[in-house]
Amino acid sequence: MMTVRRRLLLLLLPALALLMLIGGVVDYRVAVVTTRNAYDRALANTALALAANIQIEDGRLRFSRARASGALEGSTLYAIWGPDHQLISGTPQLTATAAATAASPSRNAGRAGYRDTQLQGQSWRVADVTASTALGAVLIVVAETQERRAHTQQVMLLGKLLVDFAELDLTLLLVWVAVYYGLRPLDRLTAQIERQSPRELQRIDESQVPGELRSLIVTFNRVQELLHAAAQAQQRFVADAAHQMRTPVAGLLAQLELLLQEPGAAALSTQLGALQRGIQQLARSANQLLALARAEPVAALHENFQPVALKPLIEELVERYVDRADKVGIDLGAEAHAASVRGDTGLLEDLLENLVDNALKYAPRGGHVTVRSARDGAVAYLEVEDDGPGIPDAERARVRERFYRLPGSAGIGCGLGLAIVDEIARVHGAAFSIGSGAGGRGARMRVRFSAVA
Amino acid sequence: MRILLIEDDELVADAVVRGLTLAGFTVDHAASAELGRAALAEHFDLAVIDIGLPGADGLTLLAALRGEGRTMPVLMLTARDTLADKIRAFNLGADDFLMKPFEQAELAARCRALIRRASLSPSGIVRLGRLTIDLNGHQLQVDEHPVELTRREWLVLETLAHNLGRIVTKERLMQALAGWEQDLTPNAVETHISRLRGKLGSAVQIRAVRGLGYRLDEVGAAPP
Repeated sequence: MMTVRRRLLLLLLPALALLMLIGGVVDYRVAVVTTRNAYDRALANTALALAANIQIEDGRLRFSRARASGALEGSTLYAIWGPDHQLISGTPQLTATAAATAASPSRNAGRAGYRDTQLQGQSWRVADVTASTALGAVLIVVAETQERRAHTQQVMLLGKLLVDFAELDLTLLLVWVAVYYGLRPLDRLTAQIERQSPRELQRIDESQVPGELRSLIVTFNRVQELLHAAAQAQQRFVADAAHQMRTPVAGLLAQLELLLQEPGAAALSTQLGALQRGIQQLARSANQLLALARAEPVAALHENFQPVALKPLIEELVERYVDRADKVGIDLGAEAHAASVRGDTGLLEDLLENLVDNALKYAPRGGHVTVRSARDGAVAYLEVEDDGPGIPDAERARVRERFYRLPGSAGIGCGLGLAIVDEIARVHGAAFSIGSGAGGRGARMRVRFSAVA
Repeated sequence: MRILLIEDDELVADAVVRGLTLAGFTVDHAASAELGRAALAEHFDLAVIDIGLPGADGLTLLAALRGEGRTMPVLMLTARDTLADKIRAFNLGADDFLMKPFEQAELAARCRALIRRASLSPSGIVRLGRLTIDLNGHQLQVDEHPVELTRREWLVLETLAHNLGRIVTKERLMQALAGWEQDLTPNAVETHISRLRGKLGSAVQIRAVRGLGYRLDEVGAAPP
């Protein structure tokens, strides 16, 4: 979806541009009318100045060109027509047009009339003024080319456009800056939420956000609380489920063990053994499902994370598994070097247990399983290596899927072990990789964490 | 050796009582913390307590026992595998912790090791199959015949015996020897272990756990 910033700019910018355009057009129209009126008045004044130079000599109207020359500019044409439509002075071409206008009954003496006309292939502006003399009305016609007006208008238009353009730029800049800074609280809020790990549930202080965002944040906080409650409910459920399942399973297995020692058990040993393996598998699957539930992102609360030393974790685990390894004829050993990570001890125990459990299942009798920890710069890693058949390249991605089992491994496990490892690695931000053991034999499962001091 | 089992689940309790009896222990059973508390008026060498008891739970009972100054070894059983329970149990004074489901043989072995370790401090004498170790008198007998050990071999055996059934790391053995040997190397520990093995023969097993250390085990889990 479009950002609010872009949406605001897209809404504001065309509207502003249109407003500026309309303003420009209006300004231009006003400028055109103003210049025309000013030039027209000047032209009429010229006509009136000419009228002042009309005199009566010997009972006839005379015009003194020499005395009026100050009022006439180079390109200005004039014509002065007497009461009988005879030309007293000036350009005779202004006659016809002038005569038509002069006849207009609405024209009062001293008032000017204006019009545009074509003369000698040029566009002219014409003003005519009627002056009354003792011998009757005299019509003075003055014309100037449109060139000067056009030039002045162009200069004015250009100036106007430049100012408008600068104004537009400045306004856009201001709008952009205002939108940018206006939305800064949103950026800060986003950064604050982003800084939180998606699993680290924290309230956001509602009093520290702008009013427009408050209801959003209230909802956000409520969702956080729901998630938190759900996580805790899941933790409780897992603990209760574990308790409810493990006790009867423990009873069944203990009873079976005794049954197998009974004098008559030899006859039934095949069936009893199968029963025992089945119940053990049930117990393991239940444990693994619970481990998987514990490792769910919603349940693995980062607030429970603390620095965990890997070496004691390995030592404790190997001690716990060494008899089981003896039973299947595998040499279980450790190469534990000091390294610490930030995490949940219980989950990391689950992770190691599943890796070791897996290795003990696949390594052959007489084989070796080695559990390692070490720190390499900023990386701390846990590793379990066996010299069993290994995992083919093509299967390495798939074996992490839940319930996926390697072809040919029917009857061994339920395919959850590595999925659990994958999940636990993920909630710790660690990388779980499957490789080959020393000399290309067996499997080497490695989980790389960022080390803590 | 007398064990009190405090466990409310009938199926588990019945099997554990029979299993530990078969392993040579005398076992009494109480189905709740309150009954267990009453039974503990008598002497027991070990209490096996389930954490998830109805009413007052196992941890509360453990805290009460330790509060009264009872020092008998206690093994906690639990169906919950949260680390918090485990840490609380050890902090309250549990000596061992076993998760359900467990194997009878493992439970019996742990019970035996706990009772032996507990009897170490008052008497200083450990009997391990054909072996008799007198920790106070610094004497070792195999099949009632005295066996001479060097000071260093003795230190190694003593450390292992104090931690019967548990892995003792090489570092820990090196620390034990540190006062007697300069420039101690891990190889020196191996040398002493191999000499000790030679002298003890098949009477006990000193099991090496690759990369970790050694564990003193009784040969064959014969009833005590």
